[in-house]
Amino acid sequence: MAFKQHSVLPGFGLSLGYTLLYLSIIVLLPLTALVVKSSDLTWPAFWAAVADPRVIATYKVTFGASALAATLNLFAGLLLAWVLVRYPFPGKRLIDALVDLPFALPTAVAGIALATLYAPNGWLGQYLEPLGIKVAFTPLGIVVALTFVTLPFVVRTVQPVLQDLEHELEEAAASLGATRWQIFWKVILPMLLPALLTGFALAFARAVGEYGSVIFIAGNMPFVSEITPLMIISKLEQYDYLGATAIAVVMLGVSFALLFIINGLQWWSAKRLGRRK
Amino acid sequence: MAGAINNTPRSVVTTESRPVRYLLTGLALLFVGLFLVIPLLSVFVEALRQGWKLYLAALVEPDALSAIKLTLLVAVISVPLNLVFGVAAAWAIAKFEFRGKSLLITLIDLPFSVSPVVAGLIYVLLFGAQGWWGPWLSDNDVKVIFAVPGIVLATVFVTFPFVARELIPLMEAQGSDEEQAAMVLGASGWQTFWRVTLPNIKWGLLYGVILANARAMGEFGAVSVVSGHIRGLTNTVPLHVEILYNEYNFVGAFACASILALLALVTLAAKSYVEWRSARLALEDQRNALNDQ
Amino acid sequence: MSIEIKQISKRFGQFQALNDINLDIQGGELLALLGPSGCGKTTLLRVIAGLETPDAGQILFHGEDATDTHVRERQVGFVFQHYALFRHMTVFENVAFGLRVRPKKTRPSEEAIKKKVHELLELVQLDWLADRYPAQLSGGQRQRIALARALAVEPRVLLLDEPFGALDTKVRKELRRWLRRLHDEMHITSVFVTHDQEEALEVADRVVVMNKGRIEQSGTPAEVYDAPATPFVYQFLGDVNLFHSRVHEGWAEVGGTRFAAPEAGDKAVIYVRPHEIDLARNASNDALAGIVTHVRLLGATVRLEVKTDAHEALEVELTRERYQAERWAVGDAVWLTPREARVYGA
Repeated sequence: MAFKQHSVLPGFGLSLGYTLLYLSIIVLLPLTALVVKSSDLTWPAFWAAVADPRVIATYKVTFGASALAATLNLFAGLLLAWVLVRYPFPGKRLIDALVDLPFALPTAVAGIALATLYAPNGWLGQYLEPLGIKVAFTPLGIVVALTFVTLPFVVRTVQPVLQDLEHELEEAAASLGATRWQIFWKVILPMLLPALLTGFALAFARAVGEYGSVIFIAGNMPFVSEITPLMIISKLEQYDYLGATAIAVVMLGVSFALLFIINGLQWWSAKRLGRRK
Repeated sequence: MAGAINNTPRSVVTTESRPVRYLLTGLALLFVGLFLVIPLLSVFVEALRQGWKLYLAALVEPDALSAIKLTLLVAVISVPLNLVFGVAAAWAIAKFEFRGKSLLITLIDLPFSVSPVVAGLIYVLLFGAQGWWGPWLSDNDVKVIFAVPGIVLATVFVTFPFVARELIPLMEAQGSDEEQAAMVLGASGWQTFWRVTLPNIKWGLLYGVILANARAMGEFGAVSVVSGHIRGLTNTVPLHVEILYNEYNFVGAFACASILALLALVTLAAKSYVEWRSARLALEDQRNALNDQ
Repeated sequence: MSIEIKQISKRFGQFQALNDINLDIQGGELLALLGPSGCGKTTLLRVIAGLETPDAGQILFHGEDATDTHVRERQVGFVFQHYALFRHMTVFENVAFGLRVRPKKTRPSEEAIKKKVHELLELVQLDWLADRYPAQLSGGQRQRIALARALAVEPRVLLLDEPFGALDTKVRKELRRWLRRLHDEMHITSVFVTHDQEEALEVADRVVVMNKGRIEQSGTPAEVYDAPATPFVYQFLGDVNLFHSRVHEGWAEVGGTRFAAPEAGDKAVIYVRPHEIDLARNASNDALAGIVTHVRLLGATVRLEVKTDAHEALEVELTRERYQAERWAVGDAVWLTPREARVYGA
C-alpha cells in the first residue's frame, strides 16, 4: 500500500505538513526534551529521586485517591447516565448541562470552593466534623476534589451507549422470562461494560495528573496528603530541575500506559457494540 | 458531543417500578446537588459575603484588572492558534487515507493525558535559565519563562486537542462527497473549503472553540509552573485567585473566582445551545429525507 | 393453545393504534397479520405478547384471562424484526438465555441446558455456529438463531414481528418455506406480522387483513384473495384497475359489460385485476376501446399499459405465451373486456 491513497481533494501536503510541524513544536519536541534531560541523571541518581520515601508516599496518595474517586464516579456516573437517559423529570436538561461543569469550571475555583465548603466551619464541614469525619486538609479531601474534577467522564461515555441500546434487547430478555434485575445484570451491564471501563480509565488518568483543585483542600502534609504533581512543583521551587524531571518522566510513563489502555478499551468497546469500521 | 435527550415513552416491560425510578432519580439529584450545585453556589455566596461594595472593589483593584487582561490576552492568542491547527489536522485526517493515521490521532490527544504540571515543566526545561535554549535566550534578552510567551505556550499545550478532536469525527462522518461535488462543478481548493467544508463544520468548530477557550482562561497547573507569579505582570486570574486565597483575602479570591465561575456558566450555556442546535439540524435532516416515502 | 382477543383498544397519544379488535386464534394455527405500515398489526402482536398493555379489552390464553399477566410469565416466544440477539453472548448462550434465567427451582441442569440448546440448534440447522457471536452471522442465520432462542423456553405461542422483513428476496423465500415446514412439524400456535401479501398468502393458514387499527377481513388465503370483503382488502392484495359507474336497477357497467351491484347505491366502484381482462383486436359494442402505450416483460407474464378514451391508463396482464401468440405492440388499437370484477358501493 502506498503512503496515501489517491484523492481528488487538494491540500493534503499543506494540511498534514502543518499538522506535523505544529504537533512537533508544541508537543513532541518539549516532551522529548523532558526525556533527554532525564538522561543527564545517572541511573542511581534517577532512582534516588523517584524512589525517595516522601515521593513514594505521594504515589500512594495520588494513585489511591484517584482510584477511589474514579470508582465513586463509576457508580455515580452510571446512575446519572441511567437517570438522564431513561427517566423523565423536571429540570433534566439543566442537570444534563450541569454535568459538564467540572470541565468548564477552572480547577483553582473548584479547589477553593471545595476547601471552603469542607473546612471544619464550612457549609458541609460543620456537619461532618461532629461525626468525626475530616475532609479538608486530609487525603479524603483529595478524593472529594478528584471526584468533582472527574465527574463527567463516566456519565459522558456511558450516556450515548445507553441511549443507543435497543429496547428490543430488553423486551427479548423479558419475553424469555428474565426478571428486571436479571436483564440489568445479564443484558444491559455487559453491553455497558466497555464504556464504563473507558470512563473509569479516563477519570483515573485525569485524576492522577490533577493539581489545581487538589492543592487547596489537601493540606499538603508530607507523607500524608501530598500528591505527585505537587512534588514536581516543590522540587522546581528548590531549583532541583533534575529531581523534578525524574518524577515527571515517571508520570509521563504512567500517562502513556493509561493512554494505551484507554485506546485498547475503546477498540474493545467498538467491537463489542458490533460497530465495525 | 454529549448525547441529546430522548423523550420517547418506554414500554412497560423495559422500565422500573415507580418507587425504584423515584429512588434512583432522587439519588442522582442528591449527588449532583452535593458535588456540583453546592460548590458552584458557594463561590458566589462567598464572593458576596461582605456585600456588593467589597465585591466590586476586589474586581477593579489594579492587580485583578491586569490579571483579567492577561487572561484575555492569553486566550486571544492561544485559541486561534489551536483553531487553525484543528482545522488543518481534521482536513488531513478526515478527508484523506494515509498510513500512520491512528498514531497521529493518538499523538494529537496526548496533551489531554499529560499532567498540567508536567506540561509546564517541559517548557521550563526548554526555555528556562537552566534549559536547552535558556543561555541563548538570555543573551538575546528574550524572556519566555516567567513571562507572557511561556504562559501562552503552556496554555496552547493544554488546549491543543480541543478543536481537532471535535472536528475529526464530525468531518469523518460527513465524508467528502460534497467536496468532490464542488470540485466536479469547477471550484478551486480554497473555494471548496470556504464555501462547502467550513459552513458544514461551523457548529462543531464553535463547540471546540468554546471548550478550548474555557480551558485557556481557567488553566492553573501548567501556567502556575511557567508564570513565576509576578503580581500585575504574569498572574492570570486563576493564579491571582490562588495568591489572594493564600493571603486569607477570601472575599477577593472568591470575587475573582466568581468571574471564572460565570465564564463557566456561559460556557455551559453556549455548549448546550450548540448541542441543541446541531441535534435539531440533524433531526430535521432525517425527517426531511424520510418525507417522500 | 387458543387465543381470544376481545375488544382490544390502544392509543398512543392522539394516535388510535388499535380500535376494538376481536379475533379468535385456534390452537396450532399459523396466522398472518397483514397490513400497511401503521395499521396496528405490530401493536396487536405486542399486546398479545404482553409487551404493550391495552387501554381496553381482554386477552384470553386457552380460556384464561392473560391481560394483566407480565410478559415474563406469559410463556410466549417473540421473534423481533431486527432479531434483538444479545451481541455480547455466543449463539449458544443466546439460545440458553431463557433457561438460565429461570428461578433455581425450575432451572434445568447444565447438562440438560446443553442438550436442549443443541437440539434447537439442530432444528434450525445451525449447530455448527454455537460458538460464534451474532456479529459473525448472516441475516438469515441470525433470524434462525432468534427463532431457536424463542423456542428454547417452550412457549405456548410463537409471535414473529416481520420475521423476514430485513432479509433479501432470495433468503426470504427460502426461510418462508422453512418456517412453514417447521410449523407443520411442531404445531405451535403462531402469529406473524407482515406487510407483504405474497408472504402472508404463501405461509399462513389464515390471513387477518388490518387497516387503521381495525380488522378488515379474516379468512384463509383463498377466501381473502378471491372474496375480498372490502375495497381496501381488494386493493391491498394485488394490483387493481378502478372503474366508476352509475348503477341502473342493480347493475353497474364497464364498457358494455354489466356486473351485478346488489349492495351499491347510485354509484359503484368496480375493481378489476390486471389478469382478469380479455384483449381483442376487433371492435365490439360491449368492450372498451384503447391504445397500447407500453409493453413490459416481467418474466413469465407481460404487462400492457392501455390508454382508453374514458380512463387515463389501465394495466392488463397476460401470459407470455398469449403475448407471443397475439404479438401486441405499442400503438396497437385494442378492445378490452373485464372477465371478473368486484363491485363496491361508492
